[in-house]
Amino acid sequence: MSEHAPHAGAGAAGHEHASVRTYVRVALVLTLVTAMEVGVIYIRQLSPIVVPLLLAMSIAKFALVAMFFMHLRYDGRALTAVFVGPLLIAAGLAVALMTLTGAFLVFGR
Amino acid sequence: MTPEHGARAVAEADPATFQSSPPTSLAGLASLATTASSWIATVDHKRIGILYGVTAFAFFLIGGLEALIIRLQLAGPHRAVVSAERFNELFTMHGTTMVFLAIMPFSSAFFNYLVPLLIGARDVAFPRLNALSYWIFLFGGLFLNASFLVGAAPDGGWFGYTSLTLRQFSPGLNIDFWMLSLQILGASSIMAGVNFIVTILNMRAPGMTLMRMPVFVWMTLTVQFLIVLAFPPITVGLIFLTFDRFFGTHFYDVLAGGDLHLWQHLFWIFGHPEVYILILPAFGIVSEVLPTFARKPLFGAPVVIYSGILIGFFGFGVWSHHMFAAGMGPVADAAFAIATMLIAIPTGVKIFNWLATLWGGQLRGTVALHYAIGLIALFTIGGLSGVMHASPPVDLQQTDTYFVVAHFHYVLIGGSLFGLLAGAFYWWPKITGRLLDERWGRLQFWLMFVGFNLTFFPQHYLGAIGMPRRIYTYGPATGWAFWNLVSTIGAFGIGLSILVFAILAVRSLISGPIAPADPWDGRTLEWRTSSPPPVHNFDVIPPVYGRDTFWREKHGDSRGRRPPPLPPVADPHGIHLPAPSFWPIVAAAGVVIGGIGALTHLWVVFAGVAILLIGAWAFALEHHGNPAHADQTGLLGVDHRKLAMWVFIGSECLLFGTLIATYLAYKGRSVIGPHPHEILNIPLTTISTFDLLMSSLLMVLALAAVQRGDRVQARLWLLGTAIFGAIFLGFQAWEFTEFVHEGLTLQQNLFGSTFFVLTGFHGGHVTLGVALLLTLWILDLRGKLSVADAPKVEIVGLYWHFVDVVWIVIFTVVYLIP
Repeated sequence: MSEHAPHAGAGAAGHEHASVRTYVRVALVLTLVTAMEVGVIYIRQLSPIVVPLLLAMSIAKFALVAMFFMHLRYDGRALTAVFVGPLLIAAGLAVALMTLTGAFLVFGR
Repeated sequence: MTPEHGARAVAEADPATFQSSPPTSLAGLASLATTASSWIATVDHKRIGILYGVTAFAFFLIGGLEALIIRLQLAGPHRAVVSAERFNELFTMHGTTMVFLAIMPFSSAFFNYLVPLLIGARDVAFPRLNALSYWIFLFGGLFLNASFLVGAAPDGGWFGYTSLTLRQFSPGLNIDFWMLSLQILGASSIMAGVNFIVTILNMRAPGMTLMRMPVFVWMTLTVQFLIVLAFPPITVGLIFLTFDRFFGTHFYDVLAGGDLHLWQHLFWIFGHPEVYILILPAFGIVSEVLPTFARKPLFGAPVVIYSGILIGFFGFGVWSHHMFAAGMGPVADAAFAIATMLIAIPTGVKIFNWLATLWGGQLRGTVALHYAIGLIALFTIGGLSGVMHASPPVDLQQTDTYFVVAHFHYVLIGGSLFGLLAGAFYWWPKITGRLLDERWGRLQFWLMFVGFNLTFFPQHYLGAIGMPRRIYTYGPATGWAFWNLVSTIGAFGIGLSILVFAILAVRSLISGPIAPADPWDGRTLEWRTSSPPPVHNFDVIPPVYGRDTFWREKHGDSRGRRPPPLPPVADPHGIHLPAPSFWPIVAAAGVVIGGIGALTHLWVVFAGVAILLIGAWAFALEHHGNPAHADQTGLLGVDHRKLAMWVFIGSECLLFGTLIATYLAYKGRSVIGPHPHEILNIPLTTISTFDLLMSSLLMVLALAAVQRGDRVQARLWLLGTAIFGAIFLGFQAWEFTEFVHEGLTLQQNLFGSTFFVLTGFHGGHVTLGVALLLTLWILDLRGKLSVADAPKVEIVGLYWHFVDVVWIVIFTVVYLIP
């Protein structure tokens, strides 16, 4: 198994993706963080901060998959922009939608 | 160019296609059949543009006819031209038709015909996908209008507010037609959006940097991003409505804890960007027309571009100004009022830039320029009344009155339609190879201008004195009769002007003077090629010297300096033209047959799905192994397909973002159990989550194996990924079955509705991913997956990883967060 996988789709830019070893390490980290996610919900002392903790771990997993498995770390910035821009708009709209429908009870009615 | 290409080039580019006289013999019939077949199978962007234009005009006539009947009904008190029920159908269909079947596809006609020419490309990035978008649009439009034939035209308004559109209050097929056709049309728009984003970003001629692109191309790019990002929220809203109507879920059921405002939010999150989807193409057209006929560069072109982008971006943050009367509270009202007022700034910037372009120019009073200046005047009036609505206290007085009807018609006719007509007169010679009669054209303009103002200006007054929208009649004591009569007379003036336009168009096609390549002394690349252009657009990819590159070539810059001649640009792929294909129309037929089945019988749905799958399968594999399709690397150094997948994933972010937001917004609102904490099985889901995460690892290993040509490992990892995906689906099926046994169904409560729809849609995506993986695996087994196919594996991989990251979020917010 070769250490480096050439990026056939990169064309003239000729980016290289991660090594197989890196992929396996990322998978191990994902497994570990998933285990931690499940673990923290059973630790009563963490309940005041469990929601931000879970969200942080979820974002970390999301970023690892996007950066390494989806190769955004290695590809051009244009692809990152095409993904992250809509992602931020989606997140903003989701927060606004929840706020306006009273899920956060920030504005009230 | 090969002889076959050349032959097809001649066949497809022949302007006689729309000028030929009727056949009089069997040979003539055979020729007609061949011509029809060539149009059905065409993937040429110019032909597809013409198809969009002709279809949009036909739907525009239908929508216009509906408007005239509405105006006849309202011409005086107590008129009985139509019943109240028919009136509801007419205003619903008029709005829906004009927005989705006339103005949007008119813009698409220009995108299709002109964008490749303006950027120096030979076609769009995905010509067959382009054809598929058109056929889905056509069938979706026919499907919507077929509702008239069965006496069940939609009657809930183009906004389709719940609870009016729920089964309880609209039991017939009317709303079903509306919501299904909108979903079909939305799919068409998103496909086209992805296609044009890739085309513009990745297929520009060498030297055409982003800031050298014509403003129309910039506005097209902005609009395509709006489409791919704004349509998913309304798609989700329509999915919820479909589930509520067909399967008894509770998304909009107040008694079950649902919130009617949810629909309004989802509709207007789409609906306000939709306004910019309708107006920005017209702004782009005007930004091309004014410099040509003022013989001056567009004043402050970069600022016009940035303003367009800002308008698009702000467009996502103002939707709730449509809901001031819904009772959102003072903070939300204030926030959306400020955002709405802010959006007037970039819009005003454009107006001033256009005026500055005209100032001191050597104006030529063509019909196109008349329409462009008409847009500036009329859109400004519509914009000013729009700023009035931005103030909540004022809006509360104006909402649901004819003042609002006047406002949005000044924006959508005075803005969008005037801009599109400017474009029609401007580019008609390029598209048809014939000139339009300018003298009669000016008469047509003035008929339209006077008729339009006569129709809609009095409606400001009618609204101000209290005439509500959507009423089918009124009494004589209201004092509304005179101005309604004036408005009706004006509407027939608009109708007459459209009739004159149609006559002018037909006369031009039959006997109009032949147009030269550059009749207006144009500034952009489309005028550099013949009228109409050859099928391959340009014999040689044109050189790009800067903004207004063709003008500089002819006249030099502001000091008269001409650019040094550039060597011809080598076309790395040669002149490759896509072959015609029947599969787009087959796949599109499958979509609409599925829609028909949803209203008739389940077996028809299955038939539609089967046809869609066959069409999609053949579509996907039609050119597999064709070396001409192997390298699709574009200007950004990225494969077109990969860029397209990323854009699609961006769109999917909005789809899943809306689904997840709805789940969270409704969390804890179920009025009966079971509730999430009573039923969710976290240990089991942790295992399935681990399984899906590991499938992503196998996917990257499969891609690496394909890229290095290791077929054994490629096969192993592809199959492994598919199996892991299937295992995840197995877990999901088992979980769903358990929940149903424990009393949680789609219909049980709000939690059941949101949970099953969210996770079910994710499961549907996983299922599609498994199908794609198995397709690749079978291709590999048959020795048809080579290193050259690595981009295909990569885009399937991207889709798979996206499904994985979506689950990462779902696992946290649905299962883990208490």
